[in-house]
Amino acid sequence: MSELMTGAAGAGLLTPLRREHWAMAWISTVDHKRIGILYMVTALFFFVVGGIEAMLIRLQLAVPRNGFLSPDTYNQVFTMHGTTMIFLVAMPALFGLANYLVPLQIGARDMAFPRLNAFSFWLVPFGGLLLHFSLLAGGAPAVGWFSYAPLSETPYSPQPGVDYWALALLVLGIGSVGTSINLIATVLTQRAKSMTLRRLPLFSWMVFVNSFLVILALPVLNAALVMLLIDRLLNAHFFLPPGGGSAILWQHIFWAFGHPEVYIVAIPAFGILSEVIPVFSRKPIFGYEFVAGSTVAIAFLSVLVWAHHMFTIGLGHTVDLFFVASSMLIAIPTGVKVLAWSATMVGGRIRLDTPMLFCIAALVQFLLAGLTGVSLASAALDWQTKNSYYLVAHFHFVFVGLIVFAILGALHYWFPKMSGRMLSERLGKWTFWLMTIGFNLTFIIQHFLGLAGMPRRVYTYADLPGWGWMNMVSTLGAFVMAAASLLFVWNLVASLLHGKPAGDNPWNAWTLEWATTSPPPVDNFSRLPPIRSRRPLWDDANPDRPDPAVGTKGKADNFVPEKNKTAVLAFIISETAFFGVLVLAYLFSNATPQPGPGVRDLSMAKTGLFSLCLFASSFTLWRSECSLLKGSHRAMRGWLAATILLGGIFLGGQGLEYWTLFKGGVSVGSNLFTTAFFTLTGFHGLHVCAGLIALLVVLGLALTDDLTRRPSPALKAVGLYWHFVDLVWVVVFSTVYLLPHLQ
Amino acid sequence: MTTGHFVVSGWAWNGASTTICAVAAALYVAVFGVGPRFGYFAAALAVAVLTLVSPINALADGYLFSAHMLQHILLLLVVPALLILGLPRSLSLEVRPRVLGHPLVGWIAGVGSMWFWHVPVLCNAAVASRPVHALQTVSLVVLGIVFWRQILAPREQERLAPPGAILYLFSACVACGVLGIIITFSPVTVCSIYAGQPADGFGLLQTIRSGWGLTPERDQQIGGLLMWVPMCLIYLGAIVAQIARWYAEPVVPATGQM
Repeated sequence: MSELMTGAAGAGLLTPLRREHWAMAWISTVDHKRIGILYMVTALFFFVVGGIEAMLIRLQLAVPRNGFLSPDTYNQVFTMHGTTMIFLVAMPALFGLANYLVPLQIGARDMAFPRLNAFSFWLVPFGGLLLHFSLLAGGAPAVGWFSYAPLSETPYSPQPGVDYWALALLVLGIGSVGTSINLIATVLTQRAKSMTLRRLPLFSWMVFVNSFLVILALPVLNAALVMLLIDRLLNAHFFLPPGGGSAILWQHIFWAFGHPEVYIVAIPAFGILSEVIPVFSRKPIFGYEFVAGSTVAIAFLSVLVWAHHMFTIGLGHTVDLFFVASSMLIAIPTGVKVLAWSATMVGGRIRLDTPMLFCIAALVQFLLAGLTGVSLASAALDWQTKNSYYLVAHFHFVFVGLIVFAILGALHYWFPKMSGRMLSERLGKWTFWLMTIGFNLTFIIQHFLGLAGMPRRVYTYADLPGWGWMNMVSTLGAFVMAAASLLFVWNLVASLLHGKPAGDNPWNAWTLEWATTSPPPVDNFSRLPPIRSRRPLWDDANPDRPDPAVGTKGKADNFVPEKNKTAVLAFIISETAFFGVLVLAYLFSNATPQPGPGVRDLSMAKTGLFSLCLFASSFTLWRSECSLLKGSHRAMRGWLAATILLGGIFLGGQGLEYWTLFKGGVSVGSNLFTTAFFTLTGFHGLHVCAGLIALLVVLGLALTDDLTRRPSPALKAVGLYWHFVDLVWVVVFSTVYLLPHLQ
Repeated sequence: MTTGHFVVSGWAWNGASTTICAVAAALYVAVFGVGPRFGYFAAALAVAVLTLVSPINALADGYLFSAHMLQHILLLLVVPALLILGLPRSLSLEVRPRVLGHPLVGWIAGVGSMWFWHVPVLCNAAVASRPVHALQTVSLVVLGIVFWRQILAPREQERLAPPGAILYLFSACVACGVLGIIITFSPVTVCSIYAGQPADGFGLLQTIRSGWGLTPERDQQIGGLLMWVPMCLIYLGAIVAQIARWYAEPVVPATGQM
């Protein structure tokens, strides 16, 4: 290793110290604080882009029968607005905050995997570029952010816009999963020694719970996107009814992702409120346990209830009934949160600084969003209001009223920590009032427009009584919001240059990020205060009346797993979700037999034989791990090489099967069976390839003795993944080859 | 037969299940006495009797897939949980060899029994044949105990730590929910015996099909949905209990030990 270092220095690479001063430091950085800021700056940039799109929409809708935008342009603009705001604004902004704050709040020096962190970030601008490149390649996607099939399929959207949309979201999805795996590993393995899981600040706790939601939900979207891409690029049939596919299947998969997605962006916002409200009420949070626990319940329920997005497509009365009931249940844990935040303020010495103002507004507006949400959970009301502006108003109250307001509150709150300077309070108050007035002007009236029957997703509207002036009010409100946004950007820039110095802890807050300098040094902390409760800085400042101690002796309190293993396990969870969707799509697509090629064209015996090789490779890999533990390195390398060989044979067998099929004139687009078959087995094959590459790297390390000189988790971590890939094949083989013989 | 008549006459008190429950109650009282936890045990037996003796059983016996699913859920999730909760807190449920006590075994027992008994052949066999039906009932309760032992074992040290328990329950919910989704949306009949012409011993078929409006397709949908939604709510209840248990863990004075 040391030769490598000197070699690198000789070749002109910079030492970390010199790189610090280098102009490229922001591009090459792996520091979680810089990456966090990069995330937020990217989000801010796209916020401006998405905001301009919103202004175009509101201009078009300002008066009835407007010709400002053509129908097709309008479709493109509203698709890009939705996609940008969710995937390029809300998620990066929240990931940025999480990246910046979680390591600081838990007393860590950095994220668990700094380079993975940088990789995940750079996928965001790359995905953003990919999405916007469609403008140069024949027009942006015009199918809505939900991209319903079959509209998004080639016969109805032949331009490449949808391809760029799907590829961009795939890239962004992979980045989100990467970040979340990193956040899970960070919280579990990088905490300061006495920062037990039960002492986590609520923001960190919610980001932690939320990360599980991301690794479960985003792969579901990724699976849907690859299926859509295969449909479009290889003439396949997943979502195309003429070929036997199902357009409803797209909606199911999309909303199985889409509903958790709402909570993926809402839960970190809840975390922000849970940090800011107590500090500005000068009271600890009311019912920490309830706020933390209800987050788990919300995350759980959110993966269960997606069908309420589909009441109007006719799933049947029975299905609707169950989802009405379960959707309404979400009101309970969210209600618990709202009550806890309100109770925190009761009797507190409330300071109405800008961060608190934004959070109070977020709380009130979220309450309204929740109330309309409950009304939409009722299938009967949903039928009346779903495709109207009532729904537009509802989800903007969630996304803007709660999430954007919470993010603005967070930025006003943590900006001093990030920059070392205070934001101007005067400009902040102006921003707040303009934003709140503008937001409510824009969206409250849309509830009434919706109840009056104005349909959404349509480029213009008839001149019906009241519609004109209400839309004009909405448009005026939108421009007030735009002014507030500009003021906010102005405040950021001006305060960065001339703001008054912040000091370490300008708000007298209690969590660990305020225990270090503003901005924090590269390694975050020179010394951590003792952590005995959930408010270490309070205890430090008030030794005579500290918070009651929170225990350390619980079974899981000091649980610190090995970080590579943790990350691979989290990755496996996300892969399970991905393959789960592909297997379900296969089952659904093949429930009824179709003409053309089918299971009978596959050779079960041959594939069974090659499968045995794959299963045997799990055994040889296990032997290899045992040999490493026993210290016999020769045997370890031997078993490892055998594993790679067996994996290679399996891939060869798969290739042979494909070749036979192709020779017989079968292709991905032949019928629905081949579509599902090639997608499922092909993606498994791709994962075998990835596993083989990882194993080859490990073998390379083993041959250069890098693995054996010090205890290395590499073999164990890659091994876990390999066993998982084999296990997936057990499921795939049973589904594709064995199941038809059972019936 | 009308619904009212059926609710009165659908009971089958003479079954073996009544006897077994009575014997179990007697044994419990003989061994442990009527302690503070007898209530749970009695509740377990009451639910078991309700499941196996009441009209639910009569409906599950050839009429309705959804009634069968309700039975399945009660026997796998509710009865075993109450049984374990009814045991005195000092009793050890440790098993030998140790590997059988691994959480993965419990998880597979809970989720596997769900999937296993809904393989179409086995699902039909359990309705058509008495011995298979008895085997199914017993296996569900036993596997349910293996599943819940990880969460509810009387001794604290034999249970999973709360965060692990939450993951255990959450993943079990997802794994069962997927089966529920398949059953709900499958265009194929899972348990064909319910879709065919049942023996109709109660003369109830007419009432079910036209009075209650339960076609075989809708019946299967309800079955799938029961597994997807209410069953997951049982897991959610358990998860909330785990959170409560976690935050209620004793506060150890933190002086010095960090």
